[in-house]
Amino acid sequence: MTGGYLLQQMINGLVLGSVYALVAVGFSMIYGIVRLINFAHGDVLMVGAFSAFAILLVFGFPLWAAVLAVLTIGAILAMLIDFIAFRPQRSAPQVNGFITSLGVSILMQNLGILLLSGQPRPFNLPGWMRTNLDVLGARMTVLEIVTVAVTLLVLLGLTYFVRGTRMGIAMRATAENPLAARLMGIRVNKAIATAFALGGALAGLAGLLWAGRAGQIDPLMGFVPGLKAFVAAVIGGVGSLVGAVLGGYLLGFAEVLFVGLLPPSFGSYRDAFVFGLLILILLVLPNGLMGRSTEERA
Amino acid sequence: MRFRSLLMAAGAVALAGGAFATQGEAQEPIRVAALYSLTGGLSSLDGPSLKGAELHVDQINEEGGVLGRPLELVVFDTRTDQQVTATAAQEAVSSDVVAGFGQSDTTFVMAAAPTFQDAGIPFVTSGATHPMLPTWVGENMFMAAFGDDDQSYAIADYSYDTLEHRRVYVWTDNSMDFTRALTAFFKERFEERGGEIIDEDFFMMGDTDFSAQIARLEAVEPTPDAVFISAIPSEAGLTIRQIREAGLDIPIISGDGFDSQLVATVPGPELANDVWFSTHTYLADDRPEVQEFIDAYEAKFDHPPENSFAPLGYDAIGLIANAIEAAGSDDPAAIRDALEATRDYPAVTGTVSYTRENMVPPKPVSIISVQNAEFKVEDIWRPE
Amino acid sequence: MSVGRHHLAWGLLAVVVIALVAYAEGSLSGYERTVLGFAGIYAMLAISLSFSNGLTGLFSLGHPAFMMVGAYVGAVLTFPANRKGFMLPALPEWLASVEWSLFPATLAGGIAAALVAAIAGFPVLRLRGHYLAVATLGLIIILRVVINNADGATRGALGLNGIPRHTDLWWIFGWLAAALLVCWRLKHSSIGRSLLAIRENEMAAACMGVPRARAKLAAFSLGAFFAGVGGVLWAHLLTNLTPGSFGIALAFMLVVMVVIGGSGSLVGAALAAIALTFLSEALRPIEQAMGAYGLVQIVIAVLLIAMLLLRPQGFFGSAEPSFLRRKAAGSRAGRPLSPGEEREV
Repeated sequence: MTGGYLLQQMINGLVLGSVYALVAVGFSMIYGIVRLINFAHGDVLMVGAFSAFAILLVFGFPLWAAVLAVLTIGAILAMLIDFIAFRPQRSAPQVNGFITSLGVSILMQNLGILLLSGQPRPFNLPGWMRTNLDVLGARMTVLEIVTVAVTLLVLLGLTYFVRGTRMGIAMRATAENPLAARLMGIRVNKAIATAFALGGALAGLAGLLWAGRAGQIDPLMGFVPGLKAFVAAVIGGVGSLVGAVLGGYLLGFAEVLFVGLLPPSFGSYRDAFVFGLLILILLVLPNGLMGRSTEERA
Repeated sequence: MRFRSLLMAAGAVALAGGAFATQGEAQEPIRVAALYSLTGGLSSLDGPSLKGAELHVDQINEEGGVLGRPLELVVFDTRTDQQVTATAAQEAVSSDVVAGFGQSDTTFVMAAAPTFQDAGIPFVTSGATHPMLPTWVGENMFMAAFGDDDQSYAIADYSYDTLEHRRVYVWTDNSMDFTRALTAFFKERFEERGGEIIDEDFFMMGDTDFSAQIARLEAVEPTPDAVFISAIPSEAGLTIRQIREAGLDIPIISGDGFDSQLVATVPGPELANDVWFSTHTYLADDRPEVQEFIDAYEAKFDHPPENSFAPLGYDAIGLIANAIEAAGSDDPAAIRDALEATRDYPAVTGTVSYTRENMVPPKPVSIISVQNAEFKVEDIWRPE
Repeated sequence: MSVGRHHLAWGLLAVVVIALVAYAEGSLSGYERTVLGFAGIYAMLAISLSFSNGLTGLFSLGHPAFMMVGAYVGAVLTFPANRKGFMLPALPEWLASVEWSLFPATLAGGIAAALVAAIAGFPVLRLRGHYLAVATLGLIIILRVVINNADGATRGALGLNGIPRHTDLWWIFGWLAAALLVCWRLKHSSIGRSLLAIRENEMAAACMGVPRARAKLAAFSLGAFFAGVGGVLWAHLLTNLTPGSFGIALAFMLVVMVVIGGSGSLVGAALAAIALTFLSEALRPIEQAMGAYGLVQIVIAVLLIAMLLLRPQGFFGSAEPSFLRRKAAGSRAGRPLSPGEEREV
């Protein structure tokens, strides 16, 4: 096993982790503010991917238009889902929100099959995104470099937004205690809608990147990223943005290195290993990497 | 509260009644059950298969039906769910069908076919290819496709003899019975011929990232002659694309899981190169029934057949219709006997005869090459 | 103890169910019996999940994992000995030669599942809320991978087929009755009150001397026992078993049944399970007629969302239908607080 091989696998883990982190951060943001495990998050990603498909490959618009579109469509869709399905039951038990999101997810997947058919479709980004570059002796495509950069920028931007802007502070106050926030004159529903919009926009963008990386899309494609985001967010400590990013990277590295470093016959045990690791982390750190232990997570 | 409880109970009973009040009473048409997973993970294989069957039923009925009666499909969506499949099979055999067909995966055939077996109604699987299926289920089980052993032997022989591969690396989707069987038969044949399997790697259905396996493949010294990828269509295009995108131009070989337009469209014309796979004789084949099928399919659905499961669905119902005519009766037992006696049925996917002991039809196998996203028949392999 | 009105109600229910099963076994078609059978199995699973999740406030998605354990243990025990040799070559001699009947196999499957739950639950039940949900989801995936790779004893992804069709409606509804009875008695006992106390306020329950860890583990294992039994019955009804059947989708479906029925309501969960099974069968001909596949799931998803919006506590809340309840002071245990609204699950 050479150094170059190891480096290549580290880079693979970095890229995969970035995609997971991008999905997980939106997932965790929504969780943080309304304590909602939103399984429809992955399906927003799916809609983002299909929107990008329509704009780039059916209508032939340039890439920047697709990026703008997936951000907008993801944001609007997530706000719409919140408005219809989640807002009316803010006071219900948390498990209801979770089940509702499952319902929304099943609904979107089957609508997708009904309207778009279950056939996978090829998804190709412009050729320059797919060229290989030499990075320290390992290979990365332009898309992969962009993916890593976007994730880091998003994390920086979100951290600034949450800490430094009025809306960000309103969101944090709402997350802390919605009732008290409302009494302080914060428009709680607006803060929550903003969180959904941001999370949805990120999911849409992640859909574009995920599809571009994999190369094909189908109406059920949202399930795996949704599940991985859930896992990554839990590892990181649900509600913590930095934690979600860390969780995403940890998951990405764990998956790639498990396959890459152990003998191939272990390959089919990968998912068992990943979830075993997850349970282990939770047993040692019951609130995830960055979750606050003071908070009642019941 | 009490009133509501009663209402609930009444509601449940009413629903139960509703569920059971839907038995049809069709007399005139000859009814055949089609069991396909039209939703869920297998819908990309089963959907086209059902469309192929519907096309054939339309054609048969335009020409006067079978035994002078129209043929009617009773379609069940098995939702890529074993329990739903088993229930649908029960419903099918309870609703006076003369035969059943469908399914593209062995696991789901095994959830449905034993029920048909017990009811004494023949079941023809359109797409499942495990060579033990008729042995496991019994005398009412028929296959429209070849067995996995034949297709694996075909590509192993072609790889060894014509492409002169000696050292092959193997990738297997370890979550499916079909892909594991394909790998096992390939390795058996390739090593028997004197080739070497260098190493194996695994992934699971639904994976979209193969970077770790690719980095390992890249690190093998000296470069293997080829990589055998045992996958179904949803991963076929992805693996080719990601291997080529990483700059590896090693030849890729596989079985009928690669028989999908995705193999060409997902990598695109620049990357869809040096791929060979064995499959049902149909794609890029110049027999007249193949071109007629493709034209009719395009005319009905406005797009070409998605993959070879479309002609397999077409052939499965064709075999049944042929057997009904031959039996001269709509009695399931007579149809079963006629199916067993099928010889030289000119199916789109190659001639079908049930001459073998294990009832797997010895069909010819096409070797297809993919260069610049173009499919071409290179060779026809015939079982001995 | 005098014979109360609720005794009559229970007796009547038992007579009705026995009559229904006798009628079904005698005169319904194989399809109708299969649908009824699955409805019964789901009802049992939903009852046990409602017991271990709904009463304790645990949010476990692990039921399919326990079904998987039970189903494989049961199927290996009942599998015809003359076929085990070549189908399951890795089995030890003493397992390869046995060929049990259904009842001991269901017990063994249930006990195996309960053991796995006890072992896994010991560390995992310290987690709460969504952390527990993810950990139990992990349990499903880990067990599935193990079974998938243990070809010699389970036939892996190929699945075990040709399992004898031992399950009939008598067994299913017998076990359903047993599950309902056991869970009902426990719910309305001091143990049940301890569990409810844990759900409502774990800290306060601990202060009152409720042995939290033990109570939760017991509830979790009991739920797993019935899940294991359900798995065995499922396998012997379907006659065919692959690890893929016990997935995340099934976990979701069971949780949906519990929530619709009302978290903690045993009868509610059972009715929801039966209604959902029948609803999805009843809608299927419509889907077939329209050729719009996916419609059933869409309708169910819309109903589910509408239901949660209009009646967030489920049909029954934590309570049971009143005609089955004893009208005595003790019966208040069945109606703790107002169900769930102010509680964080």
